[in-house]
Amino acid sequence: MKKFLLGILWKLLLVVLGFFAVTFTMYFFNLDMKATAMVAPLLEKWYDRLERKQYI
Amino acid sequence: MKTVEKIINPVPRAGEQSPGKIYDEKLKVRARREWRGVKDTFYDYTRWLYLLSVLGRFIMVPRNVKGFFRYRWMMSYLFVPHGMDKFTIGLRGEALRIAHTSFNFVIADVTQAIANCFRGDRRVGNDKAYSDKCVITDENSMVTFMMGFDRDKVHTILREVPTMFASNIFHQFNVMHYLDIAQQYGIPGDVCPMPEAEAGISIEDDFCVLGCCAVQNNTTCDGSLMGNGIIAKRLDREYGIPTFQLATPLRHKEPDVMDYAAQEIKNAIAFVEKHTGEKWDWDVYFAAAKRVNDATRCRIAQMEINSTPYPQFFGAAFSLYNDTNYMGNSGRDPNFVKIDHKLLKLAEQGYKAKRMYAREYRHRAIVWGVQPQYVIDMLYWMVQCWGVVPLTDMLSVINTDMIADTDTPENREQAYRDMAMLNMEMIMRNHTHGGYKVLLDDLWDLCEKMNADARAASTSCGSLTTCATRASLPARPSATRSTTTCAPSCARSRSTRRWRTFLTTKHTKEIAI
Amino acid sequence: MRDLKYLNYFEKLLQEANNELIAQAKADGKICVAYTCENVPEPLLNLGDCVSIRLSAPNTGSLDIATYYMTNLLCEPSRALLERAIEGGFNFSDCVITPDGCTMINRAVENMELLETMGKGNPKFFHEYMEIAFKNTENDVKLAVLQCKNHILNPLHERYGVDTSDAAIREAVERHNRLCRVIRQIGEFRKEAKPRITGYEFHVLCLATYVCPKYLILDKLEETLEELKTREPDDRPWRARVLLVGSEVDDSSFVKLIEEQGAFVCCDRFCFGSYPGRTEIVLNNEEGALTQICRHYIQNCQCPRMMNLEKVYDRKRYVADLAKEYNADGVIYEQVKFCDPWAYERTLGSAMLHADFGFPVLSVDRPYNIASSSGQMRTRVQAFVESIEIKNIQRGGRA
Repeated sequence: MKKFLLGILWKLLLVVLGFFAVTFTMYFFNLDMKATAMVAPLLEKWYDRLERKQYI
Repeated sequence: MKTVEKIINPVPRAGEQSPGKIYDEKLKVRARREWRGVKDTFYDYTRWLYLLSVLGRFIMVPRNVKGFFRYRWMMSYLFVPHGMDKFTIGLRGEALRIAHTSFNFVIADVTQAIANCFRGDRRVGNDKAYSDKCVITDENSMVTFMMGFDRDKVHTILREVPTMFASNIFHQFNVMHYLDIAQQYGIPGDVCPMPEAEAGISIEDDFCVLGCCAVQNNTTCDGSLMGNGIIAKRLDREYGIPTFQLATPLRHKEPDVMDYAAQEIKNAIAFVEKHTGEKWDWDVYFAAAKRVNDATRCRIAQMEINSTPYPQFFGAAFSLYNDTNYMGNSGRDPNFVKIDHKLLKLAEQGYKAKRMYAREYRHRAIVWGVQPQYVIDMLYWMVQCWGVVPLTDMLSVINTDMIADTDTPENREQAYRDMAMLNMEMIMRNHTHGGYKVLLDDLWDLCEKMNADARAASTSCGSLTTCATRASLPARPSATRSTTTCAPSCARSRSTRRWRTFLTTKHTKEIAI
Repeated sequence: MRDLKYLNYFEKLLQEANNELIAQAKADGKICVAYTCENVPEPLLNLGDCVSIRLSAPNTGSLDIATYYMTNLLCEPSRALLERAIEGGFNFSDCVITPDGCTMINRAVENMELLETMGKGNPKFFHEYMEIAFKNTENDVKLAVLQCKNHILNPLHERYGVDTSDAAIREAVERHNRLCRVIRQIGEFRKEAKPRITGYEFHVLCLATYVCPKYLILDKLEETLEELKTREPDDRPWRARVLLVGSEVDDSSFVKLIEEQGAFVCCDRFCFGSYPGRTEIVLNNEEGALTQICRHYIQNCQCPRMMNLEKVYDRKRYVADLAKEYNADGVIYEQVKFCDPWAYERTLGSAMLHADFGFPVLSVDRPYNIASSSGQMRTRVQAFVESIEIKNIQRGGRA
């Protein structure tokens, strides 16, 4: 039982560490914003294509 | 000319010394995030996770996804973490925590505002029952006239805040498209870009359409007043949303305008009652009034801390929180009270430890201008690069008087005058209108009170801030060094260049533009 | 057409802010009340020995000094007024009354006050700033009454001993109405198919009523009215009839420039114009004169700073009605560069006049002194006139 629990804890720790490693890398190297900066021009094109009812 | 003692930070600062080096000019975001030492970097990382969770929870609602792909301004909210990076440049310890605590709360509040807009929006959520209890107001509108309505029954939607004001803070190029639209329809390019962008959004049909009625206000400038006409026409003619114009006197220091202002508040309340079917509740009002007073006391304490040699409240994040609390909340949301006290506690802690947030403090500045310093990161560059400490800004210098907060027959009549007073003393308007006494004499008083030796004016509109400045300089020769930058929403480099010139020019009283 | 007898006389008067009639009024012991905005009730500035002079800065050249004080983002009239004040051009003023109508003019006058440009040697001199109405409600009328008492009547009475009684106000209104009647009757001739007065000539006469002491020009205006009754109009047809709408036009050269392109300015709806500024004030005996004057100004106000929707729509309807009444073929919406209120009003107005009322519209911004960039404006007006002519041809009418 103890070994089982330790195993779960160990896996949990690995998950947490893995989560930390991935997210911290994303955070520190600003990957989220770099990706956003690259996606933004594509989104602009999407919004440009939408029909609008311009009216003053 | 007045000078202040230079203070050298005795404690070495962990991490980056030159935050500018980690900026990626091509992508306009940072090449990597700032290293602030283990403890503060980890704290910043956890706050980043929190922001992602706020955004993640928002986008998991299907109608919000629909809204995201309908409204161009929603794209800006992908840049929220970038905005937070901008507002924490060089910060450590308590100042970092103050920035995150205050601005994360604002972000959560704005996210909720967007969700509310989409819920009622005829094009997205189309929850008619909800929309029928919504009152739309301007971005720059003081919502005192809603203080006596139960928040669960009548919803105040500051429609322009998520659409223009907040989105532009995260993504400076967001408004360019709307400015193009406005100018394509004939509005000149030389007016203030804020109301012009709002008019452009209305012309482009990029506002959420909801609400049983709308209340507009002659807020802070002629441009803002006039832009309302274009927006109101669309609300009224196309969407059939009745719109009330709440007129607020400009010469707010004159006692002979008070009766008019109070009557206008009464008229606005009657209008909301008529269209929402809800009644004004004095218990709700006086509970909100107590919270307004509590926030005022906290703000006075904050100013006192920033008047000492070791100021703790830095930058746009904190100012924006104050604005949101004072104007967009006006005591209606009890959650602000907890945040107010938490912020004050952090500041007291930092002050006792004589915490400094740059290598040295060379000058103490009052930032006297309108919103541009929120959009650009000027304040952080000032302190980190040149040791100029921004003590407070014009938009944060607001009412310090207490209002009646106990329910008596006399106080019920006084309440209209209090609401009118708060409305007239709204951010920006309380200094941009009312003559040079509030525009400039107040500034010089503040310089003396806060022991400032420099004044920075940043403005996107000549009519508001810069124009009377030079004329009044001879009146108070002892006051300060002074520089003025014209900083529209996307002119970071221009304003920082001007600051560099200002600080490197010796014996200069004023730099000509 | 034969030249009007007094046209040259009035043209000369308009060349200087401190013109010879102001000097004469000062010599007559009059009190020169300077003001800067159409929202100030004019009859109240003409009580007893007071004469109202609306500040203007004809033939403005360099704005360097004013730009130093006010930045180049402010409208040119506000800077031109400050420049002229610094030069000493308004030294005739015994007081300045200005409303917080638009921020820019307000700032200009504040700078005048801070720089002590006027009032030297006159211990009675004063500056007053007024709050003015935003809407056309009775609450706004109450505000206006209080503001007029506190910032016009009381200071004039206390400093200069001016009689501010109801009877004195009624008497001032009567004089004001006499002037309005003359100007409006002269303006009526512009409705004719072959008008016997040009838009330029009318603007010169009308402008003089704002910037000169009224009592010294009224007889000449009345004589001009008589002269016009028998004046033979020119036979040449105008290419188009246009209504000029917009912010302040105190530079008659602008109207002249439009007419030189063949467009007859058949009606004027701008500050310093006859609509709505020269509308008679009708008083009854049931209510105090002051309240009635304030109500008149609020109800007739066409200033874009009036913000309620009723007023927003009403302004466009007013323009459309005038265009119909004066048989205008098109409307020119103009705005002085950097004027915030008119920037938006011009945009909305030009869109609505075209879409809702079917008028061809030219929408332009312009410098304060049109001489500084007349070529561009000429081209715009020429193109507009041609477009009206083409429309007329397409409709089967005259070219």
